[in-house]
Amino acid sequence: MNKKIIFQTGSALISILLTALITFGFLFILGRDPVVIFGRIFSEVFGTGYGFAQTLFKTTPLIISGCAIAICFHAKLFNIGGEGQINAGAFVMALTATSFPGLPFLIILPLSILTGFIVSAVFGFIPAVIKVKKGVSEVITTIMLNFISLAMVNYFLISHFAVESTIRTTKIPENFFFTKLSDFIPSFHGSPLNITLFIALLLALIIYFTIYKTSIGYKLRAIGFNPVASVYMSVNVNKYTIVAFVLAAGMMSFVGLNYIFGYKGFYEYGFSANIGFTAIAVSLLARNNPIGIIFSAFLFGFLDYGGLAVNELVPKEIMLIFQGLVVLSILGVNKLTDNYLKINLERN
Amino acid sequence: MENLLSIFSVVFLSQVFRMFTPYFFGAIGGAYSERGGVINIAIEGFLISSAFSFAVVNIFTGSIILSFIIAMLVNAVLSILFAIFTVKLKTDHIVTGVGFNLLIAGLADFLIAYFFKTSSNTPRFEEIPTIEVLSFLPFLSDPLIIVAFATVPLSAFVFFKTRFGLRLRSVGENPQAAESLGVKVRFYKIAGVVLCGIITSFGGIWLASYQNTYSQGMTAGRGYIALAAMIIGKWKPVNIFFVCLMFAFFEALEIKLQIIGSFIPSQFIQSLPYIVTILVLIGFIGKTRPPAADGVPY
Amino acid sequence: MIPAIEFKNITKQFGNLKANDNVSFAIRKNSVHCILGENGAGKSTLMKILYGAYQPDSGKLFVDGKQQNFHTPHDAINAGVAMVWQHFMLIDDFSVLENVILGNEPISGIKIDFKTAQKKINDVITKFNLGLNPDDKVEKLSIAEQQKVELLKILYRKPSIIIFDEPTAVLSPVEVDEFFNIITKLKDSGNTIILITHKLREVIQIAERVTVLRQGKKVYEAEATEIDEDILGKEIVGDSSFEIASETKLETDGEKKVAILEKAGLSSGGYSKLNDINLVLRAGEISGICGVEGNGQNEIVDILLQLLSVENGTAELNYSSVSVVPDDRIKKGMISEYTIGENVITRKMGFEIALKAKLKKLSEILIKSYDIRTPDYFTPMGNLSGGNQQKAIVAREIENQSELIIFSHPTRGVDLKSSLFIHDEIIHVRNSGRAVLLVSSDLDELFKLSDRLIVLYNGQTVKEYEPLELKSRLKDAESFTVEVGKLMVGAGIE
Repeated sequence: MNKKIIFQTGSALISILLTALITFGFLFILGRDPVVIFGRIFSEVFGTGYGFAQTLFKTTPLIISGCAIAICFHAKLFNIGGEGQINAGAFVMALTATSFPGLPFLIILPLSILTGFIVSAVFGFIPAVIKVKKGVSEVITTIMLNFISLAMVNYFLISHFAVESTIRTTKIPENFFFTKLSDFIPSFHGSPLNITLFIALLLALIIYFTIYKTSIGYKLRAIGFNPVASVYMSVNVNKYTIVAFVLAAGMMSFVGLNYIFGYKGFYEYGFSANIGFTAIAVSLLARNNPIGIIFSAFLFGFLDYGGLAVNELVPKEIMLIFQGLVVLSILGVNKLTDNYLKINLERN
Repeated sequence: MENLLSIFSVVFLSQVFRMFTPYFFGAIGGAYSERGGVINIAIEGFLISSAFSFAVVNIFTGSIILSFIIAMLVNAVLSILFAIFTVKLKTDHIVTGVGFNLLIAGLADFLIAYFFKTSSNTPRFEEIPTIEVLSFLPFLSDPLIIVAFATVPLSAFVFFKTRFGLRLRSVGENPQAAESLGVKVRFYKIAGVVLCGIITSFGGIWLASYQNTYSQGMTAGRGYIALAAMIIGKWKPVNIFFVCLMFAFFEALEIKLQIIGSFIPSQFIQSLPYIVTILVLIGFIGKTRPPAADGVPY
Repeated sequence: MIPAIEFKNITKQFGNLKANDNVSFAIRKNSVHCILGENGAGKSTLMKILYGAYQPDSGKLFVDGKQQNFHTPHDAINAGVAMVWQHFMLIDDFSVLENVILGNEPISGIKIDFKTAQKKINDVITKFNLGLNPDDKVEKLSIAEQQKVELLKILYRKPSIIIFDEPTAVLSPVEVDEFFNIITKLKDSGNTIILITHKLREVIQIAERVTVLRQGKKVYEAEATEIDEDILGKEIVGDSSFEIASETKLETDGEKKVAILEKAGLSSGGYSKLNDINLVLRAGEISGICGVEGNGQNEIVDILLQLLSVENGTAELNYSSVSVVPDDRIKKGMISEYTIGENVITRKMGFEIALKAKLKKLSEILIKSYDIRTPDYFTPMGNLSGGNQQKAIVAREIENQSELIIFSHPTRGVDLKSSLFIHDEIIHVRNSGRAVLLVSSDLDELFKLSDRLIVLYNGQTVKEYEPLELKSRLKDAESFTVEVGKLMVGAGIE
């Protein structure tokens, strides 16, 4: 068991190394010094409190969305609809938070979380039910629902709820904002890093525990490993398919917490910046292990902020290339190590 | 009423065909890949890569023909890589597609910033002189649109009348059966993917050549709409042609409605292709059946 | 005359299992030759060697007097040997014509020469009276028609030797007769036919010569004219290797009826899977179902698990909980990636927290009381030996304390010692007052354990032996074996 974890961590590290090598080579061909560039990123992220806080701020939504994707992946379900789920949920979350001016924060917050969760969950429920009832692969339906969800949000936002000549909702009251970590750690000053980070970490731990330490998690993974045997072991495959999708999609709405309550105070169209897709890479790199996702989310946050930090040396989009390459090298390296493990297990 | 009638003007029709072309090449390209059993959501990325490389080569060399060839080559190389992953390494088709889309979009964005020091679009290149092949039909005057029209019967012929097509379809339906009859499964799968990349490049080239530039996000999910059109078109060239035409009509209509104002939200019309796709998949509108071994690594 | 095929001392071993053990026999040219045997007797392995899918460890294969070494099915096809699989290799979305020409398409210019293909195919269809339309889509055809397409595919390639793997398993009686007409025509036009079957009636009707395999060895061979049904039945099932636990057998009916199937019927894919099943399961009783595999056993199990529901007749299920040891342990029985304890947790109803200590405890109990051999508690079940996997599944299901427990082929591929252990456990379960359904194709196992025995043939319960009758009949196990063996292959049944 431990050997397996070491192997998998190893293959993740090899993938990162491989990606780094390719990126280095690429930069080198373009006549940029990769050592200088990555040196700068490291010193920006780890050398300054602000940089570190910004990296963690970018890590936060990736932990949440990565864990949500992981729930589905454990049941061998593809949720390509994260982007639509995040936007629908966050939009409704912001609407709820600004719609009841009289109510206190302690009622508004849970209410916003609940409504956001429900709306996001609906966008997970639909593909799950279609899969269970009609046998239609969730891949295409979730992709299509991304566009439908974004179009709906766009419509309601622009025709009803947006502040004039913007694409955002009104702002929540000042006293609704989450506590910033810079209140406790002065060197984080200027960064919107807030307690959503701890919510994300807590979520990761809860999901880790549920998936690996409870009967629910065992059943969830069982339908991914072997749906036929699951049926004969009286696991309700349909129920768990729906539960996994609803939970994962609902959780996506929590990405909004970091932005709405932790940063801007409103929902803005397009705020998610493809987190729903990046989450797939984050989860994949960690082999869908929520604890691992904390680290891989940090790597992606590191790249995201690091790109900004070196923008004057090399266009920040180099980090998008890094992200894409990481996905492909994980796929390749995982296939090779899995094959190696398989051969070795068979030999024993 | 007058407003509504203006929909059927020549300007409107040429608008429809302008929208139609990238959808069509993406969708028909996708059909080559999926007929061979490889789900290809990297069509979106393939549109980006070809639009981008066409624009960049055109700006640097000024040669339309060279830009055209390079764009095709870039897509051929990328699709060979995609085939190495999905067919040879047998990685999951969907995740591989997501990875390619991330990588290609990232590469394009990076290279724009690298070459042109802006982060949103390339400079404009010189307008491509229109070749009025059929000048009496202004909206059909572009060679690429004529290629699109020719691709319909050609693809139908390839799929259903040639040995290549029969074998391509057989590996997408039942690779075990195909192999038992001596069909080289891998070869046909790879061929399908590569043809998909090359055909899709026409769609990307069209996008860039029409706007005389490559701008970030210019594909705007057209690859996914193409995928939807392919599904609704049941992987058949003629059907795909009409579905793409329908989607293009919706899109042109939406732009029109935005100008003249309408009670139908434009966002609703925008999402019609996606809604229709889901309804078709559920079986509310017609019935659709993907190649039996679509997306199954072999 | 040179035989069409000659097997000389063919041996093929998988791990410790000798699938073919020094098999030698010949098949006459232009004849219909039947090969009989239980599941796992080695028929399929032998045919796969002939078809080029396997290579023998030792021994020689002669086709038309020439020694052959087929490395792929393609080699075999080129040498004129073709196989019609039990599981069709057809492309549903293709027309009959497309299925037939795939891989062998006539070409004119850059397109397929459909005219020539059509003509060639129509010639074959008329010659063998197949009654197919080349333009029909395969998915619209019945099972019998699909089988004809499979045959057409082969005939189009003009083989001289055709192997049929249980061709009639999926056919109705009328279709079987039609199929035999085709076989006769094939023979008349000079082909050699090899038929793998379980059905005695067919052997007598069509075969010219018969070979029986058992446990990898050739045990019997005769001309059709001299076939002795009794000998055939006995040779197929072999001698008893388990001692019959007669002292523990019931003599009266168990008390409570936990499940009653009456005239139950079920079809799938347009083909009748079950018809007229009558079965009563009682608490404290082991009901054994015997029959050649694929005669409806799995459907009965799925009905009892409520995965399928009957279409005709009634199914009264009065139990509150049911457990099953499925027929295919790897596909249906376990999550190979999980440890024993994790499999137990997955199987349990309700929410539970499963920390390492708890999983260890759960594994520990089963490992100890069921003597499961595993390197440690945390070895995935996929890494255990077949026997230990099976013991773990049996343990898991027994510990689940269900009112009804179904054992489907509980000792298949399991070593003798583990088998005996599992048998003891099954008797324990019965003695604890629970209802047991035992499905097996191993007659010895059924005789040893069953209190009541039901013979299944073609989706029908053709014979039921009540406890008292069974007990007395088992006193002469040898003649009883012959009788049941004959019932299983459909002898003496209308």
